[in-house]
Amino acid sequence: MTTGETLALERVLEPHRPRPGEQANILRTLLAVQQALGHVPPNAIGPVADALKVPEAHVAGVLSYYPDLHTAPRGRQIVRVCLGEACVANRSLHLLADLQRVLGIGLGETTKDGQVTLERVYCMGNCGVGPTVMVDETIYGRASAADVQKTLVKPNGS
Amino acid sequence: MAITLYLSNDTSARAAGADRLAAAWADVPDIHVVRTSSRGVFFLEPLVERDGPHGRLLWPRAKPDDLPRIRDGAGGISLAEVPFLAQQQRAVFAHFGTAQPLSLEEYRANGGWRGWERATNLPSEAIITELKTSGLRGRGGAAFPVWHKWDIARRASADQKYVVANADEGDAGTYCDRMIMEGEPFRLIEGMLICAKAVGADHGYVYCRWEYPAAAATMQAAIAEVERAGLLTIDKRPFRLEVFRGAGSYVCGEETALLSSLEGGRGMVKVRPPYPAMSGLHGKPTVVSNVLTFGTVVEIMARGADWHAALGTAGSKGLIVLQLGGRIRQPGLVEIPFGATLAEVLERFGGGMADGSRFKAVQVGGPLGSLFPESQLLIPLCFDTFNEAGAVLGHGGIVVFDDQTDMVELARHYMTFTADESCGKCTPCRIGSVRARELLERIEGGSGTAGDLDLLADLGDTMKATSLCAHGGRAPYPVLSAIEHFGDEFRRRLPAKGPNGTMDR
Repeated sequence: MTTGETLALERVLEPHRPRPGEQANILRTLLAVQQALGHVPPNAIGPVADALKVPEAHVAGVLSYYPDLHTAPRGRQIVRVCLGEACVANRSLHLLADLQRVLGIGLGETTKDGQVTLERVYCMGNCGVGPTVMVDETIYGRASAADVQKTLVKPNGS
Repeated sequence: MAITLYLSNDTSARAAGADRLAAAWADVPDIHVVRTSSRGVFFLEPLVERDGPHGRLLWPRAKPDDLPRIRDGAGGISLAEVPFLAQQQRAVFAHFGTAQPLSLEEYRANGGWRGWERATNLPSEAIITELKTSGLRGRGGAAFPVWHKWDIARRASADQKYVVANADEGDAGTYCDRMIMEGEPFRLIEGMLICAKAVGADHGYVYCRWEYPAAAATMQAAIAEVERAGLLTIDKRPFRLEVFRGAGSYVCGEETALLSSLEGGRGMVKVRPPYPAMSGLHGKPTVVSNVLTFGTVVEIMARGADWHAALGTAGSKGLIVLQLGGRIRQPGLVEIPFGATLAEVLERFGGGMADGSRFKAVQVGGPLGSLFPESQLLIPLCFDTFNEAGAVLGHGGIVVFDDQTDMVELARHYMTFTADESCGKCTPCRIGSVRARELLERIEGGSGTAGDLDLLADLGDTMKATSLCAHGGRAPYPVLSAIEHFGDEFRRRLPAKGPNGTMDR
């Protein structure tokens, strides 16, 4: 971690330190760390465990369990294709394959320029207007690969 | 005079383009746009409404340049002209699409807080009796009698009890909980207050999945609003209510896994008993009920148990909330009494197949639900008939697949999901789902053997009989029902010769 990250981590952990008689909440703490740093670097496990007064193994266990906790930096834009059944019925598996081809990356991978990470999600509850793709915080319905491409920032800035 | 236009602020309305319309019209001087909850008629989104001389007028699938038409009142259709809505019997969703989600005044004007006001004047036992008379069964999927779960928590003596709303609506193809939280968040709060009063709890959590950012934000704002209005109290004592965000684990919809996650740990399933109603969050009596269950309790308390008990069938009282999706013309939310057949629902509400598609199969009850071919659509939608058929209604998701669906690919997809989301606590699910996925990958890749289908059946039986929770226990159903009804597609993928050149079938 950089010095900046270490300082940011300290700030994030402060309100999550358990008060006397209170139990630490590892998941909530890790989500806060991820919110601040973009991901949870593996060498944050020690400081988190110290702050929460729990074994490092518990922190590592929670960190490895949840699909939405990430231990490495991801792309500047996150594209998530819904693979819930209603979207699969509306060909989201094909949409995912198209995006993999267009971006030249596999599922869970990031483009070489660090711009885009491609992920899957199992249902956004947007089944009435599927297939669904989420780009960063925006959810798109009745989406095509071409629609998704339009939302992506080109590496040359265009 | 400014014209007020109504536009849903629901995630699916926005995903279909409602925000684009709102942005395009934001600076038009005589137009005032009000963002509302959603009618759940998603095939019409983005849907613009305005008040006409005889009630609301609707402009479906609106585009920014439709504004002159809408301003002139030209081409709008009335609500009665939408059979999808006219044929429903809505209660929980009766006012969806009309009110602003965070307006306490509008919630009250639509009958909000009547259930809570009645509950405050009843002893806790009487609330339980009311639920018992209503015949309400849990709407999350397990269909356990609600009164029984709540009564166990009520009878437990403890210094601390909790009420938890299971808002981890993970079953793909379902979205009614999301609609409630985004559209009528006060309803969930009201239901949780009734529960807290009934069981004697003073602390509640809404466990909301990561995939519902708008629902979590709306709930947080609604809680603040209710607190500001001084309504978050039970018998003059404060009720503490918080939103807790999940982190993408499907199994956290199972109540013991949900509580492990809420405590901050890995979201793994625990052996029951003890049930959470006796020993749940931090070992204290905890009611975990689904969002729609809380929403329905509000209606039962407001209208009386007899209203609910008179609807539906003998074993399935009340209204079922179905969520239609997949390759049909009219995906959306349907609230009708239990008992209609699957065929009726698809015909009356589904509106036929999407353009150019032909029906192949329908899945009911989420990713762990069974597939039904055309020959089996006469099954009535109630708990008992589905139970007898080895199927589940689950949370009411109905997903239609068309003739272009590759059943082998779909079956492999189901098992990929099960393996991805297994919590790993019990062996049949942890190992079984991976082995089943591998078998299906092999068949899909054209290198399976005739014995693989028998092996899948055998493995499926083991998972059904020995898994700790429904994730592993139900996972074989969609796969085995696919093989049962579309076996030829699987057999066609098997090579005529075994890998060593030997004939093995």
